[in-house]
Amino acid sequence: MIRHILNLGLRLFLVCLVAAAGLGLTYGLVKDRIAEQERRRRARAAETVLASLEATPQENEELTAQLQAEFPDLLSVFEGFDASGARVGYAFVLKSKGYNFITMAVGVSAEGKVTGIKAVSNEETPGLGAVAVENKQFLQQYQGKGPQRLTLEVDVDAYTGATYTSKGINNGVNMALDIWEKMGERT
Amino acid sequence: MEDKERTLWGEFKKGFITTNPLLVLMVGLCSSLAISTRVENCIFMGLAVIFVLTCSNVIISLIRNFIPDQVRIPIYIVVIASFVTIVDLTLKTMPAVYERLGVWIPLIVVNCIILARAEGYASSAKVSHAFMDGLGIGLGYTTVVLIMGVFRELFGTGKIVFSDTTVIDLHIKAVPVILIMFPGAFITYAMLSALLQWYQSRKKPEAGEGS
Repeated sequence: MIRHILNLGLRLFLVCLVAAAGLGLTYGLVKDRIAEQERRRRARAAETVLASLEATPQENEELTAQLQAEFPDLLSVFEGFDASGARVGYAFVLKSKGYNFITMAVGVSAEGKVTGIKAVSNEETPGLGAVAVENKQFLQQYQGKGPQRLTLEVDVDAYTGATYTSKGINNGVNMALDIWEKMGERT
Repeated sequence: MEDKERTLWGEFKKGFITTNPLLVLMVGLCSSLAISTRVENCIFMGLAVIFVLTCSNVIISLIRNFIPDQVRIPIYIVVIASFVTIVDLTLKTMPAVYERLGVWIPLIVVNCIILARAEGYASSAKVSHAFMDGLGIGLGYTTVVLIMGVFRELFGTGKIVFSDTTVIDLHIKAVPVILIMFPGAFITYAMLSALLQWYQSRKKPEAGEGS
């Protein structure tokens, strides 16, 4: 009896082992290209949230690494330069917990005002949270707010039917404002 | 178990008509109704299904004597899920496609077509037969979703767009938008299914099919 169970387990294990090896191999082959796509998506989102400042984003990896020590959910920092080369704002790409994780870019001007929000990717519920994340009217409310932290239902209205997602977006924006403040202290 | 009278060609072509997964076996409908709003989606989904189905059929047929009966379902799922993950990872390098199909790719794991072929066919068939069966059923699926996709996109939006270029434009303003919505999927599917039934009833009923 015990040998029978061991036999079943061993065979199942072997199949899983081979499958895992195959997946590992595939992942190794494509991971650089996936990372490259992810980087491009972030850059595009950064461009969108800085559009109102007419600024071009440029990723600053050194700054990202420094800030990540304090803000582990921060993924990358883009600096926005205008036509004359002056730094007019930042775009922070960060991860915030809604119902699931939302990866979003938040643009913050040099004065600490939100210049735009754009979801890079989200795992929210289709039809509910996922709609809120893309809803222009909902995100538009944040435009020009800050640099003080924002409270849901006081400074901005939550999206009906997507309370967790609204909280997630709001926390993400507050995180961006915190980061902005932190950077102000440093420079 | 292994029927000598089965020919490779027969195993291949049965997927189109006699055991068409969508219209006759009526499995895997969920994803096909959802993705057939655009021809482009149909092509990529079809390719993904063909790949996963053929690979999992071959692997399961290869190890069919190694798989103990009691744990066969977990093993099928592991094999299928691995191939789906491979497709998923590969498509992630093509963001334009992934954005539209992303939700549906992981769902291939639980797509009944693949598990049904593994359990009902590949687990008791020769490797070459399982391979042809995978190809045939996969192509049968692709053909049907393509027909649905062409019909729904052409008449639901008035044009067919492939990788951001308009291939066919009917130049009609008032299109029946319902076709690209979910009711349209059911209507299209029902019409196709009826058409196939009608076609088959005109021929002499053939002796029972493979699975």
